[in-house]
This record gives sequence, C-alpha cells and structure tokens, in this order.
Amino acid sequence: MRMIDALTRSMRASHLLVALLVAASLVFAAIGAAMGETFYLRLATEALIFAGLALSVDILLGYNGLLSLGQALYFGLGAYLSALVLMWVPSFWAAFAVTAVVSAVVGLIGGFIANRVRGVYFALITFGMAQVAAKVVYNTRALGASDGLIGVPVIDINLGIISFSSASPAGFFLFVLGVIVILYGVTAYLLDTPFGRLLIALRANERRVPFLGYRTMTLRLSAYVIAAMIAALSGALYPMLRGFVSPELLFFSTSGNAVITVIVGGVGTLAGALYGSVLLTLLKSVVGSYTEHHVIVIGLLFMGAVIFLPRGLMGIVRPAVERMLTRRSKP
Amino acid sequence: MTERTTTERAMAAHSGTAPILEVRHLSVSFGGLRAVDDVSFTVARNRITTVIGPNGAGKSTLFNLISGALRPRAGHVLIEGTDHTGEPPYRVQAAGLARSFQITNLFFDLSVAENLRQAAQILEPRSMMWRPIGASRAAHARVDELLERFGLTAKAQYPAGKLSHGEQRRLEVAVALACRPKVLLLDEPTQGMSHGDTQDTAALITSLAADVTVLLIEHDIGLVMSLSDHVIVMHQGQKLAEGAPTDVRNNPAVQAAYFGHA
Amino acid sequence: MSGAIEYFQFVLAPQMLIGLVVGVAVILVALGLTIIFGLLDVINMSHGEFYALGAFIALALASIGLPFWLLLILVPLVMIPIGYVVERGLIQRVFHTSERHVTTLLLTFGLGLVMEDVFRLIWGPNPYRPETPIAGGVDVFGIFVPSYRLFLIVVGAAIISAVALIIYRTRLGAMVRAAAYDRHMAASLGVPVRHVYAGAFAFGVALAGLAGVLLAPIYSVFPTMGRDFILMAFTVVIVGGMGSIAGAVIAGLFLTQVQAIVSLYISPVWSDPIVFGIMVAMLMVRPQGLFGRLGHG
Repeated sequence: MRMIDALTRSMRASHLLVALLVAASLVFAAIGAAMGETFYLRLATEALIFAGLALSVDILLGYNGLLSLGQALYFGLGAYLSALVLMWVPSFWAAFAVTAVVSAVVGLIGGFIANRVRGVYFALITFGMAQVAAKVVYNTRALGASDGLIGVPVIDINLGIISFSSASPAGFFLFVLGVIVILYGVTAYLLDTPFGRLLIALRANERRVPFLGYRTMTLRLSAYVIAAMIAALSGALYPMLRGFVSPELLFFSTSGNAVITVIVGGVGTLAGALYGSVLLTLLKSVVGSYTEHHVIVIGLLFMGAVIFLPRGLMGIVRPAVERMLTRRSKP
Repeated sequence: MTERTTTERAMAAHSGTAPILEVRHLSVSFGGLRAVDDVSFTVARNRITTVIGPNGAGKSTLFNLISGALRPRAGHVLIEGTDHTGEPPYRVQAAGLARSFQITNLFFDLSVAENLRQAAQILEPRSMMWRPIGASRAAHARVDELLERFGLTAKAQYPAGKLSHGEQRRLEVAVALACRPKVLLLDEPTQGMSHGDTQDTAALITSLAADVTVLLIEHDIGLVMSLSDHVIVMHQGQKLAEGAPTDVRNNPAVQAAYFGHA
Repeated sequence: MSGAIEYFQFVLAPQMLIGLVVGVAVILVALGLTIIFGLLDVINMSHGEFYALGAFIALALASIGLPFWLLLILVPLVMIPIGYVVERGLIQRVFHTSERHVTTLLLTFGLGLVMEDVFRLIWGPNPYRPETPIAGGVDVFGIFVPSYRLFLIVVGAAIISAVALIIYRTRLGAMVRAAAYDRHMAASLGVPVRHVYAGAFAFGVALAGLAGVLLAPIYSVFPTMGRDFILMAFTVVIVGGMGSIAGAVIAGLFLTQVQAIVSLYISPVWSDPIVFGIMVAMLMVRPQGLFGRLGHG
C-alpha cells in the first residue's frame, strides 16, 4: 500500500467536508419538506446552483492560478440554452445534453482566445469576452433582449426510478444537490489525476512543464473547457428553478459573486466553493433581514478574507480535517 | 540548408550509426550579439561530454537551442539522426532529451516526491493521465528509485522549496533524469554546492553514463578533467576547440582564451 | 455635393462632437487608472467608485453653498489623503504576496463594492443632477451645443496636458517614472519609493474624483455611476497600453469615435459589443496595448 501524499490527503479532507454538507442538506430538505416550506428550499437550491459556478472559478483560480472575471459567460450560456431547449422539448436530459455539447465548443473557442495571455491579462480578457456576450444577449430580440426569456415550463424530471416535478421545492432541491455533488465529484476526480496535478504544476512553475514533455496550451485549454462545462451545466439548472432567464446572469456581478464565493470559502479546495456559496446566501438572507445594505457586510468580509485569510474558510477548517485523517490512518 | 528525406532520416535513425546528438552550424543572435555562432559537434553515446567556457561564452544559450527553449536562427539539432531543430521543448523531450537548469527550476510548493512523479509520469501510457494518481505504478516506482539514488528518501514529503541548496540542485538533476532520457543536458549541476556535495554529485554523474548520454556545463575545471570523456570549449559564442580533456587543457588557444582569465 | 456637406454638417459632425465630449470624459477617468497600473502594477477595480466619490463629495460641498469653481480644486485636494490612506492601509497589506496582481485586483474589487453600497446608504439610489455651471449653448456647425460641453473639452484637454507634463517633464514625474521602472534602483538613488507609490495612487484617484466633479452636471450623480464609465475606461487603458498616458489619450479618442460612428451607422446598441470586441482582439494580439508601460520607454 503506497503512502498517500499531501495533495491526495487534502482532497480526501474536501470529500469529507462535502459529505458533511450533503448530510446537513438532507436534514434540511427533510425538515423543509415536512414543514411544507418553499422559500428557504428554493433559496438553498439557488445557493447550490451558484456553488456550481463557483466550483468552475476554483478550477481555474485554485488549480491553474488563473483568475476568470467572466465565468458568467458560460453560466449564462447554459441558462439560456437550457431555457431554449425546455421551451422546445420539456426534457431535462435534452437540456443537459445540448448544454454540455455547446458549452464544450464555446469553451474551446473562448479558451483559445483567453489562453493566449496570462496573469492579469487573462482576468481582463475573460472579463471582456463576458461583456461582449452580455451586451449581445442584452440587445438580441430573439433572446428576449433586456427582459430575458420568460415562461420556461415546469418539467417532469424522470430519473428512471423516480419522477418528480421541477416545481416541487424539496424534490428539485435534492435533484440539484445530486447534480452539484456529481459535478464536484467529477472535478475532484479529475484534479487528483496526473492531469490535475499538471495543472497544479502549471500554477507552481509554468516554464518547467514543457520540459517534462507536456504542451502547456493543451493543459490550459482542457482545464478551461472543463470549467466552462461545469459553469454551463450549473447554469442549465437555473431556468428549471426560476422559470426564466435574464441577461443579468451574464453580467459582471454574477462573475464577481462567484469569485467572492471562492475567496471567502477557500480557494483551491473545491469544497470551499460549495461552503462559500451556502455561507454567502445565508449571510445575505440574515443580514438582508436587518438592512438592505448587505453588500457592505459581504464586501468587508471579502476584503478581510483577501487580506487576512487568503485561503478562506477552508484554510482554517480543512487542515484540521487533514490532521484528523492523518491521525486516524496511523496505527 | 540540407533537406533530408523522411526515409533517409528514418534509415539513419534505425541504423544505429547516427550519433545520439548532433549539432550542425547552430547560430542565434540577440540584438546583433551572436550568442551562439556557427557551432557544430557530435556527442558520443553513453559518454560524458562537457561544455566549458568563460561566462557569456554562450553555453546556456546552446543548451536552450538544443532543448527547444529557443529557436536557432540557423543550423540543425539532430537526435539519433532525426532533425528536431526549432521544435518546442515537449517534442524534444519526446525524442528522448531532458535537461536541468542552471537556476533551480522546480515546483517549489510541491513535495520532493511529487516533483519527481510529475517528471516520471511521462513513462506511463497517456491513458493514465486520467486515472487516479495511485494507479501510475511505474511512475511511483521510478520516484522511489530516484529518491534512493539521490539520497532524498528521508525528504520525500518535504516541499521542494524547503530543501537546502545542495539538495535542490540534486533534485534538479533527478527531475531531469526521471523520464529515462537518452540524452541528459545538465546545466551547471554543482553550481553553488559545497565541496563535499560537489564530489558526491560528480560520482553520481559518472554513474549515470552507464545508461544515458550526458552533456554537461561545468565551471569547476578539476571536476571537468576528472569527469569528462570529451570536452568542448566555447568562447564568444564560437566553438574554440574540442577533444579529450588533456588535449584541450594543453591547447594554447584554449589557455589564452579561457584558462588565462580563470 | 451640397448634400454631402449637409450630411457632414448635420449628421456626422455633431455625432463626432458628442463622441469627443465622451472621449475627453473617458480619458479623464482612464488617466488615473493607467497611472496607478503603470506605477504600482495594480488594477484598481474601485476606480469607478472613486470617480463617484468625487462627484458625491462635490454634491455635499455644493449643498453647503460652495461654488462649482472652488470644488474643481477642493475635491481633488480632499481625495488625495483618502487615496493615500487606502494605498498605505489596504493595498500595501497585500502588495508583497506572490500573486500580487490578483490579490490587489480582488481587494480593490471588494473596496468598490463596499463604497458603492455606502453611497447608496448615504445618498439613496436615485440620481442627483447638479445645476450646469455654464448655462446656454453655442452654435457649432449650425448645431446647438451646450456651452458646458465645449468647456469640458477645453478643460479636459488642459488637465490631460498638465498631467502629461507633470509625469514627463518634472522632477517629481522623473521620480515616479524611475520608481515604475525599477523600484529597488530608484530606492537606492534616494527616491522615497513608499511615498511615491502612495502618492501616485492618491494622484490617480484624485484625478478620478476631478472627473467626477466635471462630469456630474452631464451624467448625474448616483451610486452606480462608476460602473458605466469604468468599463469604457478599462477598455481605453487596455487598448492604449496599461500605464501609458499617450496610449490612453489616443485610444480614448479613437474608441469613443468608433462608438459614435457605430451608433450612427449600425445601431447605438452595438457600439458596446464592438468596442469590447476591439479590447479582446487587442489583448489577443498585443496584450501590452498600443504603447508600452510607464517608465518603460
């Protein structure tokens, strides 16, 4: 039996933390369903959907070291595609299939453009691309222009064994939880393969990687496409929840919120994206009940995290979980 | 420029008569300065060939041209008779050439073992790229072997950035060697090392020559004389002389240009 | 033939004149942004909020009866200590981290969010329109142009020239450029690098504040006023070359003319996608922009 290295151990700690979050979510869903609750279940569903977007930001920022300020481009792409498909055929599978294929193609094109540059220029070019897309959608009448697409039908989600309506708060919450956990699982798996480790190597020292026999552009492009698909698939869930999509989903505020989520939750941990999203949604709802100026609180929290806690919430929690795992594995 | 047909190249490669590494009329300039100027030589298989010369002679630039870090303005680089001129580093690596760097170039945040695994992973089939880390058994076996050989086993889980300078220099060589290259380019592996570490590294390099061809840049003349099978002297971008260590040392031109200043 | 002249006079020329007003406005905002990047290597995401802050400070001071002309001097003077404190107290805290570009960008992004919400807290979400300091208009090309807009072009050009003169022709500017080129070398030559950095940031945000005062009578004052302008200012800085004053001026004039012409011939709604498209294309082929960085030739 080979010794588990530090990176794999960290990833296992993330798995444990995500499992904890899933357990808490199941309890939450059970209580919510028993009480016939709607508002908070839907709010939590939205938190999970945006957690998927944050996850995609973390792949780029936490592993590849590239700050994307335009991940909303793919989130919005997925949302619009899903809305269009659902208005045509009310099938969740069709919406997901179309979103996956189209976002891979668009991600490849976007990746070719964005990965020509590095560092701060990558941040600016992703920002610029999302701006172009947002303005185009905002002005395209066929896509509902500034109103967006309204009237996305409620669909029946048929998973073979069970079938339920997207309008069922608890059912749809559990469904989104399942999708996000799968997206997390796939991402976590990929990042703990030699491919994922090469992304970490790129972040650590990009110039050495070609001498190990790898083409850096291929690696960066792969990471970018994976992130684009994760963002788009998360976005595809949005119209199922809300019944509409609007150009705001592509705006900078959407991209910016995802970055805040990752930084507060803990960059480079994947679990941080999920916890961050839940934490920020909770905070918005709690602070929002006292004052409408919750952005001040969130902004200050974010600034505090950047200055004092560059590894975010998970920077405190995960090492403790890792130590626990190490102790347990030793006889 | 001589264009060789694919067949010719393939034949040369398979006949085994082609030298493991050959450089023909290689030149590059930076803003009018001829950093490497019409340099040609061949490197014999499983021998240690050392490039020496004063600072600014163009030694590291020569390595950059051979390993694909820089594109030459003119000339050719042939590995086992196949032309790899101007190819990017990952292609040159695939042809069997690996290198170390004069300025330590590691993944400093990652552990020693992970640095080696990153480099050894190329030994695995491509499909292993998408399997869990633990599944790459050949790569892990190679890491253990190198840790042992380079005396880094005790530090395997240390971040590379926390190693001493001497250990980092050793790891730098081990990382280059991890992919089992046919040709290994070592750019001043003993740079900044203590005397004891230098001797250990020299012994290590000698032992390498059993299964890999070594092209070395080295400043310690005593080491060059004891280590090398063949010496190439560079001066102001040009090849000044080459030959057996003793011949080169007794060459008057070399003494004037190089040893005279040393 | 006369049709062509009339077309120019009544359609094209006024459109280009409007473009010029916007161009000067955008350059005023972009100037501080490019100086801060050129010297500190910091992408100031809160620059738009400093622009808004200038306008709000002017609004507050005007409400106690201070005249507009005094505010043009007073507001930048108030902004300088604010900028200085922000640089020393916030930006320097993360300036020495390994991924400085990203951390300073994130920090100023957070600061911008907080500032915008504070404006909303104090002044509410609705726009204020300050009284136009110069009433009336002038007949240009047979078209009525408000005098204040012409005044803006003249004053804007004067400010831009003055900034360029300070940076390129004075001893202070030489120190700034030396610190931008090589901070360690500059420090060893006796340049007080810490003060130059904080001072340059303060100068940059003071310029944004001045732009806020000048543009408030045209574009109104509201908490999110920085957002609309900052996108264009960023585009100008990127296309012109981050840190280049000449680049900001040329790109500012060029891109606003592109906007004006696109609005006329295609549709106003397509002017933004086209301008941002130019930015993306520029980043792809020449990320350093039209001109090099401050202090780098």
